[in-house]
Amino acid sequence: MHVSPLVFLAPAVTALAVALPVAAQISPSKESLSKLYSGAVYSPHAQRRFPSRPLWGDTHLHTGLSVDAGLFGARLGLEEAYRFARGEEVVSSTGQPVKLSRPLDWLVIADHSDAMGLVNDLAAASPEVTKYEQGARWSKGLRAGGQAAVETALDLITTFSQGKVNKDLLAAYSPGSKIYATVWEKVVKAAESYNDPGTFTALIGFEWTSLVKGNNLHRNVIFRDGAEKAGQVVPYTTQAPIGSTDPLDLYKWLENYEKKTGGTVLALAHNGNLSNGLMFPVDAQYTGRKLDKRYVRERARWEPMYEATQIKGDGEAHPLLSPDDAFADYENWDVGNLDLSEAKKPEMLKYEYAREALKSGLLLEARLGTNPYKFGMVGSTDSHTGLATAEEDNFFGKHSGSEPSRDRMKHPFTKTKHGEFKGWQTVASGLAAVWANENTRQSIFDAMARKEVYATTGPRMMVRFFGGWNYTKDDLNSRQPAFRGYEKGVPMGGDLPARGKANAPTFMVYALRDPIGANLDRIQIVKGWLDAKGKTHEKVYDVAWSDDRKPRADGKLPPVGDTVDVKNANWTNTIGASELGVVWTDSDFDPKVRAFYYARVIEIPTPRWIVYDAFRFGVEIPKGAKTTGQERAYTSPIWYTPG
Amino acid sequence: MRSLPQLAGRLLREPLVQFLLLGAGLFFLYQVVSPAPETAPNRIVVDRAQVARLAQQFERTWLRPPTRAELSGLIDDRVTEEILYREALALGLEKNDLVIRRRLRQKMDFLNEDLGAQRRPTEAELQAYLDAHAEKFAAPARTSFNQVYLKHDRNPAVGRKRADEVRVQLSTGSIQPSEAGDATLLPRGLENASAREISRSFGEVFIAALEQVPVGSGWSGPIETEYGLHLVNVSARDPGGPLPLAEVRAAVEREWSAAQRAESKAKFYAELRKRYSVSIEIPDEKKAAVLKQ
Repeated sequence: MHVSPLVFLAPAVTALAVALPVAAQISPSKESLSKLYSGAVYSPHAQRRFPSRPLWGDTHLHTGLSVDAGLFGARLGLEEAYRFARGEEVVSSTGQPVKLSRPLDWLVIADHSDAMGLVNDLAAASPEVTKYEQGARWSKGLRAGGQAAVETALDLITTFSQGKVNKDLLAAYSPGSKIYATVWEKVVKAAESYNDPGTFTALIGFEWTSLVKGNNLHRNVIFRDGAEKAGQVVPYTTQAPIGSTDPLDLYKWLENYEKKTGGTVLALAHNGNLSNGLMFPVDAQYTGRKLDKRYVRERARWEPMYEATQIKGDGEAHPLLSPDDAFADYENWDVGNLDLSEAKKPEMLKYEYAREALKSGLLLEARLGTNPYKFGMVGSTDSHTGLATAEEDNFFGKHSGSEPSRDRMKHPFTKTKHGEFKGWQTVASGLAAVWANENTRQSIFDAMARKEVYATTGPRMMVRFFGGWNYTKDDLNSRQPAFRGYEKGVPMGGDLPARGKANAPTFMVYALRDPIGANLDRIQIVKGWLDAKGKTHEKVYDVAWSDDRKPRADGKLPPVGDTVDVKNANWTNTIGASELGVVWTDSDFDPKVRAFYYARVIEIPTPRWIVYDAFRFGVEIPKGAKTTGQERAYTSPIWYTPG
Repeated sequence: MRSLPQLAGRLLREPLVQFLLLGAGLFFLYQVVSPAPETAPNRIVVDRAQVARLAQQFERTWLRPPTRAELSGLIDDRVTEEILYREALALGLEKNDLVIRRRLRQKMDFLNEDLGAQRRPTEAELQAYLDAHAEKFAAPARTSFNQVYLKHDRNPAVGRKRADEVRVQLSTGSIQPSEAGDATLLPRGLENASAREISRSFGEVFIAALEQVPVGSGWSGPIETEYGLHLVNVSARDPGGPLPLAEVRAAVEREWSAAQRAESKAKFYAELRKRYSVSIEIPDEKKAAVLKQ
């Protein structure tokens, strides 16, 4: 590669200019730094081994390449999806200009694998074809590009459609044995061209869309690798005989991929809420196969994360499973399965929601030796528009038929004799925050694999969550609390270190609200545990809150208030706090029982997307539609296992 | 002039040619089969080439050839598909099907894209594109600064007064920046940060105000955001600017190709459209609405 020598010189000159004055000064030794400050050297940025801010992205975006997206009229392809995610303005499938408030840092385009065989059958022609005048002419025209290529294409189409192709040329044609440009190759190629390490990461992925009698068992697959490895395969499908709907077969495929290519890959499920009891089995899989050591081991190995919130419902918790949790009733979709071919029965719920699965995981770990549901939590959109929109005031809907329009909130999303998901119920959610050191495929993937990730329902609040045995208030007040966080314990997604002589675990949790978003109402810690009798339990603790509120006699914290002005689609940050943080000790801790802890950060009430629709289009909100909500973040848990 | 084998190789790599030849193949097959149904109307032949293709599809998924049993499963499935496909066509099920219409439309898009993507740009073309869109590929301005954060006071005037006092203390060196102000989770400074990076943490209002602060002018502010008041000290600013092609080649090539594709796509549809006369009949009651828009 030719590089001008000036390019090399410029940084060297700058480095010299900067280095001189610094070298002339005395740098402080570790001993001379204040005890309150926990950095190893004066500069808080030097020698830092952890990220200073989370990287925001979406693990689950569909483009027009997905069959269902195309059917709904999605015209945006891979390029437009990447451009939009990078912060450029694009025109949506329905002709509306749209732009994100802020770019995303990374994106996984996860189109359905079952469609990617689309052009698999393109066959090679015999080399004989160019003997003929027509063949040679077309070849020349196509290579010329531009207007000549356009004219050539038209000529080709006309000639073929009128049956005027040279008979001998046609006879020379034979279905070849090579498989050409598959959709997957396009997917991989686009990811390569938009992947820009340090600025924007395009992770290669696809969705394995397992649907069993209308019950959602979908998984997204994410590669750590680039084209050289991910391009060697075509994605796994659900269609027999090559594909299958059984996750165990997907795991086999993932393992095979790693073995054959030397690559690295992971999977994450979503929409357990639409699986009618199949997503998180405890006794047997939907196939009737009993859960065994193999199942729990494989699931734990391949599925380090779960997509806990997205457009088709929030799946963290359900009020029937968590009757004492005042915030569990949030954007739940609980009428039936994915296509509403079967209505929901209450007994299905406990196999569908993330919190319950985390609890079941403890039970299965005690029973079979591995916790299959030891997952981190992310949010993503699952949008089928090529547009990763999760903000209430900039929501472009589930599919192109539900892009902004006067009537979109009134159209049923799905309606059968078993029930209805109403248009207004679609959720402008969610995003995935990743605590990765660098904005690269490897770094982001590795953070996902170690579960140092969290979910939000759309806003970009920064959340830190650490677990250890001896965090103190000073650690939090040290102004660089993350140093202490990593030094004295583990971040979200980890296991508490060995207990030693400590009586109870301590958790340092803090959150900073989205710079352009709403203030925070409270931080909660959700604890789940397995008692000696093999029964699971949960408890939600309010640990930090705004506005100096005092818990009531029953221990409950009064609501933060509500500033939402529905008519004008407005709200104010006059309540709540811009940041909250605390070191919390679990005084109910029992060293003999397995447990997990995760943080839930709740914003003050803000308008739902339908309120912006009503305001901008000047339409009525349907009766019974929910107009406000308290958006939130769910961190990955930290687990405790008795030593 | 290129030799014929070279040309042949080129041609074979053109997805359009492959696509059209397949179409021609089907057309040809149709010609052979349909005018003479008495020969073998319900005969299905899975020939060697097709079997080989099925095996290869399997291999692309599993990175190994199928076993005998797996291959016979694939062939069985292909036969089933062929039967259902033919029966569906006989029933005319492909007509007025939205999925099929949109699929075919998408195939035309693919066809078109592949046309635009085939040529690699020359050096001169890239340089010309870069020159014409220099701002798009320029390095962003970067700022290094420290900030001291102060919480909002219930009384804004009190908050401002306090900020002024702290600023004076910082300027005279009577207090260290690391000890001044209120605790916050916001960064205490950023180094070589672009506007985009700064606004990720501090928001748009902050960056707009920060850009007005001269380098080396000491502690200034406060800048007011929804978080509170920020005293800032800008230590360095790199204005950024145009970059040479060598540093942005990949991005320029990507954008050039995208522009080429868009252009060829537009031309392609414009040419096709010329072949049609389009008349739109709007019902009277809708007319008013359309005109109003």
